[in-house]
Amino acid sequence: MTDIQQPSNDMGDLRVRARGLQKSFGDNHVLRGIDLDVKAGTTSVLIGPSGSGKTTILRSLNVLERPDAGTIRIDHVEVDFGTLPDKGSSARQQMAALRAQSGMVFQAHNLFPHKTVLGNVIEGPVQVQKRPLDEVVDEAKALLDQVGLSDKADQHPFELSGGQQQRVGIARALALKPRVMLFDEPTSALDPELVGEVLSVIKDLAAEGWTTVLVTHEIRFAEHVADQVLFLDEGVVVERGPSSQVIADPREERTRQFLQRILDPA
Amino acid sequence: MRHAVRLLVLAFVGLVVLPVGSASATATHLAQADDRPVVRVGTEGVYPPFSFHDAKSNKLTGFDIEVIKAVAKKAGWRLKFVETQFDAIFAALEAKRIDVIANQVTFNPERDAKYGLGTTYTYSRGVIVVKKGTKGIKTLKDVKGKTAAESTTTSWADVARKAGAKIQAVEGFSQAAALVVQGRADLLINDNIAALDYLNTTGRDDIQIVGNAGDEVSKQVLAFRKGDPRLEESNKALAALKADGTLKKISEKYFKTDVTVENTGKVDVSGGREVRSDTQVVKDAAWPMLKKLLIVTIPLTIVSFAIGLVLAIGAALARISGSRVLSAIARAYISIIRGTPLLLQLFIVFYGLPEIGIDLDPWPSAILALSFNVGGYAAEVVRSAILSVPKGQFEAASTIGMGYWQSLRRIVFPQAARTAVPPLSNTAISLLKDTSLVSVVLLTDMFRQAQLAGANAQIYLPIYVVAGFYYWFVCVGMATFQGRLETRLNRFVAR
Repeated sequence: MTDIQQPSNDMGDLRVRARGLQKSFGDNHVLRGIDLDVKAGTTSVLIGPSGSGKTTILRSLNVLERPDAGTIRIDHVEVDFGTLPDKGSSARQQMAALRAQSGMVFQAHNLFPHKTVLGNVIEGPVQVQKRPLDEVVDEAKALLDQVGLSDKADQHPFELSGGQQQRVGIARALALKPRVMLFDEPTSALDPELVGEVLSVIKDLAAEGWTTVLVTHEIRFAEHVADQVLFLDEGVVVERGPSSQVIADPREERTRQFLQRILDPA
Repeated sequence: MRHAVRLLVLAFVGLVVLPVGSASATATHLAQADDRPVVRVGTEGVYPPFSFHDAKSNKLTGFDIEVIKAVAKKAGWRLKFVETQFDAIFAALEAKRIDVIANQVTFNPERDAKYGLGTTYTYSRGVIVVKKGTKGIKTLKDVKGKTAAESTTTSWADVARKAGAKIQAVEGFSQAAALVVQGRADLLINDNIAALDYLNTTGRDDIQIVGNAGDEVSKQVLAFRKGDPRLEESNKALAALKADGTLKKISEKYFKTDVTVENTGKVDVSGGREVRSDTQVVKDAAWPMLKKLLIVTIPLTIVSFAIGLVLAIGAALARISGSRVLSAIARAYISIIRGTPLLLQLFIVFYGLPEIGIDLDPWPSAILALSFNVGGYAAEVVRSAILSVPKGQFEAASTIGMGYWQSLRRIVFPQAARTAVPPLSNTAISLLKDTSLVSVVLLTDMFRQAQLAGANAQIYLPIYVVAGFYYWFVCVGMATFQGRLETRLNRFVAR
């Protein structure tokens, strides 16, 4: 772990700190210098039109995308993507260490179809973290209980509803005990009547003190659960602040237009 | 299911590995007790009455076999017989896969210049054989423009060629005789003894000897490489065997006359081999063929498929990888394997590689060629199967902290298997049948065993039907296994 930077400067009560994130896909400049601070135990919500870069930020935090420049620090692990070597074991180790700090929940759940619900949840702790099976199974059962699926442990993903699948996805991410939970539009692929069960799990997590970053189009839910809301457009943060400000009383014209389109499409 | 697989593996180990192990143990044991020099003898094994397998015991025997055994006894050699078709026999001698040919090699000046030819141990005449009722072919003069069925590198083929006949290439005398009977060739020219034996064994009257192919007496000799000191040893041994009457005795056993001296050409082969009914022929052949199926064809298929699958996965990952170099190598490999015949690949491995110092035995040669072949075909199957796994699965594996290999092993391959099993089963079934080509690298598989049995009895249809049944039976087993595997892999998919 000697390759991993141990920053000396104090994070205070911050859990996540990103500075100057840049990312392009070909000619498409998706992130144009993003700064993000997330306090421990709080919920941050990213909103914005499609293509604004919100999902790319989330994926960068989990290093599913590799930013072209900028630094990301989660808890005590910091990576400077501007100076990170293109390849090599040092770069791989640093990225793996940063990735291990966060747990990711995908829009399309991406559960492992060939494993049972319990198998999905214990896969990471047992295979990657090499923790003892008994201990992990006990924890996994508690997590499934927490997301209301204790009776589904031995079923396969295809036997579950979309909302249940998404809740398994959440339990799978939680099982690794990440320092921050990342949700990438977790309800966008769900039938409307299944949205509530997933949002209520996320709300419970926030209430329990999990640090979460959430990308969503559920503005009313965001308003209710968020400590901080960031509105993004064209790769920059247009406006940020408490939900009472950004959603209830936006200062920027672009934010206002976006919210109007979402909340009152007719 | 898992138990079934385990049982299968156990059965396989019991059937194949243990006998092989104990066989090699016996061989080492013998080697310790015996320090005579080993001489490898190349022979057809399908050229009765000179070189063939006894119907009852399935042991290699015949006039040439007994002669070379007698020579070895006098010269103090230990013999190892290598059976191959005649057209590969001189190549095998030059590639040092065998040391001497004992298969009625006819003396001629071209061969004399290239090889170390010994003293004559058979005098015979060439005869012309046609289908009964054929008009206008009586002497060599009539052969011009007609089609003669011959092994292309024999001296009989030369005789036919010089007389102006077109040559239809065959793998041995019995195949040639079959073509003439079927009317696919007009005639064949061969040794009078071989022709008489054929008529006698089959009891056929639809084929006949019409006359001598020229007036020359042909002389058959043992062939060594030029400069091999064992040529002199064999000449001395033959002289001694002639002097003590051993050669005469062997000859009279097969021909009721002594063909080891200049003779009239009149031989009687009736005492040689019994005439068997078709049913008896099939009965005698069925077990040796089954044995070869179990100890050669099936193990060869399993081992080659396993190695081939590893190669295929490697090539598929190289194709998918970002590296241009790796991808180009994999592309070239796949393209070359799919663009060339398996038969050619076998020849390159077995007869070509020794020229650059890579000298592999029959088994490793066959496994090498077959597994590289399977690898080339399966690589694209594996590649498309891996690509059929959604990208989200790779990401989910990454996000829980898995590295490249762990993601492949635990997440991607189990899902890719579902897509890959049906086409891979096709590949495996093709491979089983492709093993019928390995006789060219001197490995006696089930099909070669069928050819041996057929050549010995001069009966083909029932034996090939049995061979076909064996292949089909194994293929049905493989298809059943495929079905179960598919059910198992599909159990986690919504229907």
